[in-house]
Amino acid sequence: MWKEIRDREAGKIRPKSFSSRIKFNRISNLQLTNYKDIVSSHRGSINSLQVDLTEGRYLLSGASDASAAIYDIQRATNYEGNGLIAKHKSIVSVDKQHEKGHKYAISSAIWYPVDTGLFITGSYDHNIKVWDTNTTKVVMNFKMPGKVYRTAMSTLATSHMLIAAGTEDVQVRLCDIASGAFAHTLSGHRDGVMTVEWSTSSEWVLITGGCDGAIRFWDIRRAGCFLVLDQSQSQLGRRPPVLDHSAANKVSVSKPLSTGQSSLVKSRAPQKKYTNGHGIKQSTIGRMPAKGSARQRLHPGMLSIQDRATAHYGAVTGLKVTEDGMYLLSAGSDSRIKLWDLESGYNTLVNFEKARLQTSKAIQLAISQDSAHVFVPCMTVVKAFDVWSGKMSHTFRGHYESVNCCWFSSQDQELYTGGSDRQILVWSPCKLITDDMDEGHTKDQDNWSD
Amino acid sequence: MEKGKKRRREEEEEEIEAKNSDADHSLSLGKNLSFSDTLMALRIMRAQFPQIDKVAIQPFILQSQLYSSVKDRTQVDRELESLRREKAVRVFKLNTGQDDHGIMFLDDYIKEIEHVVKRIEKRKQGDLEVFKWFKVHVIESKLESSIEHQELCSLLSLGGRVKDEHISLLINAGLITRQLIDPTMYWFAIPNIGSILKGLSQGRKELLSLLNRRRYREMMLAALEKKRLRFSPLDMRFHLRDLIGSGHLKTAHTPTGMVVRVSKE
Repeated sequence: MWKEIRDREAGKIRPKSFSSRIKFNRISNLQLTNYKDIVSSHRGSINSLQVDLTEGRYLLSGASDASAAIYDIQRATNYEGNGLIAKHKSIVSVDKQHEKGHKYAISSAIWYPVDTGLFITGSYDHNIKVWDTNTTKVVMNFKMPGKVYRTAMSTLATSHMLIAAGTEDVQVRLCDIASGAFAHTLSGHRDGVMTVEWSTSSEWVLITGGCDGAIRFWDIRRAGCFLVLDQSQSQLGRRPPVLDHSAANKVSVSKPLSTGQSSLVKSRAPQKKYTNGHGIKQSTIGRMPAKGSARQRLHPGMLSIQDRATAHYGAVTGLKVTEDGMYLLSAGSDSRIKLWDLESGYNTLVNFEKARLQTSKAIQLAISQDSAHVFVPCMTVVKAFDVWSGKMSHTFRGHYESVNCCWFSSQDQELYTGGSDRQILVWSPCKLITDDMDEGHTKDQDNWSD
Repeated sequence: MEKGKKRRREEEEEEIEAKNSDADHSLSLGKNLSFSDTLMALRIMRAQFPQIDKVAIQPFILQSQLYSSVKDRTQVDRELESLRREKAVRVFKLNTGQDDHGIMFLDDYIKEIEHVVKRIEKRKQGDLEVFKWFKVHVIESKLESSIEHQELCSLLSLGGRVKDEHISLLINAGLITRQLIDPTMYWFAIPNIGSILKGLSQGRKELLSLLNRRRYREMMLAALEKKRLRFSPLDMRFHLRDLIGSGHLKTAHTPTGMVVRVSKE
């Protein structure tokens, strides 16, 4: 460790690689923390956790007893155990007794991405409420047609303030905070929508996973989805291979475009790249079924309804986009975790070791900043997998009942997990007790600079 | 665990090399001669497929068995995908539970289709041309494990006029089955496999209950292999590979040999 610091001073190691090496080492040493404790005020299982994105200081949690609470994770409310264990109690909390509070379980609680002045909760009582953090009052309420499973707001958005809501209804709705009304609805799923995530590379792209097993990509400026992930279309390797005959593809794709069935054939176009002798045959076949079903003139944006590709054999219960926006991890109720390459839309066939995932509820996955580790709640444990090889690196055992959500704070390399046992546990790289003892001494001295 | 199987594999490699010489020729002609580990595992397991008296069926391998024999699962998935694209094997989704896939060599599948056609011929004179169209057009071009109704009709019509009776013939023969969740999609299926799949799920349950009843939920591998399952026509080694690959059982080295344990989660 000292040698590496000297190397960085001398310029032998770049600062960025030095810090990422240290972060990687710290993540490899994650264990149940012995110096920090979050005192959970919830009386129901915790369904959603999020640390705010602007400062990384406040943790927002939503629970099944219709309560949501905010914890300051950097400053403790009081100390126990001779000053060694920091206890963090909730600084703001809302529950059923609150006027206009939720009546049933809160399934999703997220921060407003721009600052911590607002937070949004979605609940099984069909409502999405926007709260003002300082006055703890509801400023806006959106009524949904079904139980709200998940809400999401884009962290990159500069021109819109839309909340994407996935409910048990087949349509995904976008709610606008600025106007207080619904902006538009996205149709295409054939069953309820369990997970919603905004893309981390574009403020207009929304990714939804449904109970029908499909993962759809929507550009909210247009109608219909532009991509449906199909688990049978896969690529061998992290990135798609460089094509030799991309010129031939352009010719065969331009012909079907003239019939106006653009989005349906585009989803078949990638197949042509990999069946070398059958390129031309497939283009004619791709057009024939379109003729049969084109009795009803559909809006070109609605053609994606006919695409029935599934990403998982069961419901899609968890989605997470990597921070660089290049890969997507999805977890399904068929107990499979899949890694998708977003540029090509293919399954990268990384086999994550078999993990039993809970099937009835949505789970929240967490991914480290350098996209090397993914943390998946599997029943009562949280497993950390290496993203590129699929090998399991750690198992975090600590909860008494099933774990529902987890959040990785990349600032301090800490993992927060919430479960059905109403606890929020903190996992951090181990800290030696001797460090704390030293700090204790300096507290007695005055804060004069020498 | 892999070492125990590998030792047995090496012993039997010499035995089956003679048997497999025909298979070697048919697969290595025109293709490269280097074998991936998955291909080796597939061939060896195909040779070790148990003989069942009542049902004459071509050997197939479960995907979970591959996971137990080759260490890196991602490599297995990728090699299987490239074998599938080269049309050396075909992957079928089985209905014995979540995510079970059966792998069969393409030549074996074609042989199976021919058996089925012969059986139907004996019974009555139906329109048997649909099977030829199926073999020539559908199997060659559609490499996935499921197919849409429209696409099936259009591929078959490359051979001749398609009628609804043709599709029902294919379903009756067991070559395609309807999907339960979606009425317009079909799964490709292995014909006459029903009793074996029933034996598979019953054998799995029996093996797991056998181990669960013991006090410490474990048993020595050597003793376990000698046992015979009552409800399954497939042998113990088949089931062991399948359950170890799917994660229900795990093996460990002990000073007295290999032990098989039921995994906790």
